[in-house]
Amino acid sequence: MTRVNRDSYVAVFLLAFCGIFFSATFFVKDMGYESMGSEVWPQLILVVLFVLTLAYLFQALRQGPDEAPAQEDSGFKGWLHRYRNALWCYALFFVFLVTLPWMGMLLGGVLFVFLALTVLGNRTPRDHAVHAAIAVGTMSGMWAIFTFGLKVFLPAGEILPMMY
Amino acid sequence: MILENLMTAIGAVLELKTLFFMLIGVTAGLMAGAIPGFTIAMAIVLTLPFTFGMPSEQGLATMLAVFVGGLSGGLMSGMLTGIPGTPSSVATTFDGFPMARKGKPGLALGIGVWSSFFGGILSAILLVTLAPQLARMGLEFGPWDYFALVMFALTITASLAGENMLKGLIAGALGLLAATIGEDDINGVARLHFGSEELKQGFAFLPVLIGLFAFSQLLSDVRDPEKARGALMKGRTEAVRIEHLRAIKEVLSRGLNVVRSSLIGLFVGILPGAGSSISNILAYDQAKKASKTPEKFGTGVADGIVASESANNATAGGALIMMMALGIPGDIVTAIMLGALLIHDVIPSPTFIGDEPVLAYAIFFAFFLAHFMMIGMQAVCLRIFVRVTKVPMYTLAAVILGYCAIGVFSLHNVEFDIWTMFWFGILGYTMRVLKFPLAPMILGVVLGNIAELNLSRALAISDDLTLFLTRPWSLFFITVGLFSAVFPWYQKLIGTKKWTLVFMPVLSIAVSLPLFMMNGFVRPGIGGGLLLLGCYQLWKRNRDGWELSAPSEHLYKE
Repeated sequence: MTRVNRDSYVAVFLLAFCGIFFSATFFVKDMGYESMGSEVWPQLILVVLFVLTLAYLFQALRQGPDEAPAQEDSGFKGWLHRYRNALWCYALFFVFLVTLPWMGMLLGGVLFVFLALTVLGNRTPRDHAVHAAIAVGTMSGMWAIFTFGLKVFLPAGEILPMMY
Repeated sequence: MILENLMTAIGAVLELKTLFFMLIGVTAGLMAGAIPGFTIAMAIVLTLPFTFGMPSEQGLATMLAVFVGGLSGGLMSGMLTGIPGTPSSVATTFDGFPMARKGKPGLALGIGVWSSFFGGILSAILLVTLAPQLARMGLEFGPWDYFALVMFALTITASLAGENMLKGLIAGALGLLAATIGEDDINGVARLHFGSEELKQGFAFLPVLIGLFAFSQLLSDVRDPEKARGALMKGRTEAVRIEHLRAIKEVLSRGLNVVRSSLIGLFVGILPGAGSSISNILAYDQAKKASKTPEKFGTGVADGIVASESANNATAGGALIMMMALGIPGDIVTAIMLGALLIHDVIPSPTFIGDEPVLAYAIFFAFFLAHFMMIGMQAVCLRIFVRVTKVPMYTLAAVILGYCAIGVFSLHNVEFDIWTMFWFGILGYTMRVLKFPLAPMILGVVLGNIAELNLSRALAISDDLTLFLTRPWSLFFITVGLFSAVFPWYQKLIGTKKWTLVFMPVLSIAVSLPLFMMNGFVRPGIGGGLLLLGCYQLWKRNRDGWELSAPSEHLYKE
């Protein structure tokens, strides 16, 4: 019977993470004059993290396997279904960030909020109209506060400046 | 000189613009505290970007207003719906909700509001008197002691994760590691950047914090599509008239309860990592134990509300004492405020009150004033709260995600900060799903540089590592840190394992040793007291034949 559970996978991932970061500390420049080299503190933390993760792995293996999830929740499809709202939000935010240099904060922000509302909320024509109003109202309001009130230069993008 | 600084600070806080921002802050805090799923920390994180352009006094006064408002806001939803708005008002619902359901919602709210007020004012007075004393004590600290204090803060925060302590410690170590990425403060050498130009600069503290905390919290709130589309609160919520005069009489007639609960709140606030979510339950438990009619608790008695609400507001004062005197945040909220101070180039330390008296007095005064504003705004917010509860969660989440992007960008005007928030948002969400506590990680990020700087200084002065054990304060923090690491097991096994019988006496005796090593008469005197207490407890347990007795049932049920 397998004893592996979710915590075991996390512990193995953390151990690999420690290894990668520890190897990266060997590339930290040695200035030659310091009392404590710049690599010492991260190495100390990584050693502690490694020991704690080993204890975590041991604890996870002792606990035994996770309870089997309900049929509809199992597998990759079930996982996607379970976390679909969060995944949508991250995907939309990622697209918003990638397109920020072209769309700018105002246009990109309004679109992001509108799409996030549409994905998370109901999808009737009335809801779309309400979502559009919320997105335009809230984001342009906040954009105006920061641009004119707090004098912050938010990314203008390339689309809006072409219009004026 | 003191009077002059005090008057300048009061003048800065009483500026119309500052008062206006404080009023908005209190209102925002009250609303955020009242909405279940929203936390005070999130409200402060979202307020931060607006304060970047403000003078330090104004920015901090605004954030303090949000803090005080948030602590008192939780009672509105707790009493009217039975769902506490924040973890700091969990115990308020035990008696507040039954009292409201008995047809006295106005009185219940009034008692809650005025208990919050008196608890807050008491802790403000103690903040003004204790912070300079503690800071004076902090001047005795050398780098060894500071390093040990940071380690103690991280250990105690992780131990508050209970059975997940190992996960808490791992989270704390991950936070420390995140703080090492990029250029180090001591030698200016870029570390762990994997060739990325952006990573060579390191992560800005606030995008990390907003990502870890606010971003991940919002996505947790909308995980269930059905709940996300529903109104923030189910059922009918109606605005009621707060019975102020009757409530003041009720609270003042329970003066002892107010003072005891405020002191519990203050003490919990001073402990690094422990916040109002713990103090309100502890104070409630103590009020119940001290009551002549403990069986009535939970049925709508005023004492229960008084204890919980005085304690949670007093915790804020304790956390501020720790932050201002030693530069160590008492909880997540003060960790964020510490970040805000750093943005304004103010570094809290034992010399903070002496070096920045105007700012320090402004913090004292703003904390004091915010409690009066909270009383004034409560009635207004009750009406707004009734309307806000009808808004679906997904609407708030989507809009706030957009606001987060604007706020984080305005910090340094670089897009990389939004990317930082995004990646740490994913990390924070994953940690929540995997049940890793976030508080130790946040504290690790905040305290990482302080720990490294002090370790480096300690090693530069002397390579003798035994100094960590021979200096009294360092030994004190290491001892308490070690015992706090074992505390979750002690709490779990109390009454079932023999070794739990010696835990508290041994702790008393162990702590007495560093106290004996300190200068003066008071601290060695306290050490002597603790030694005697520990010995007495050991003698008593030996006399009773080392018999295990069941722990107080009520405390653990809570």
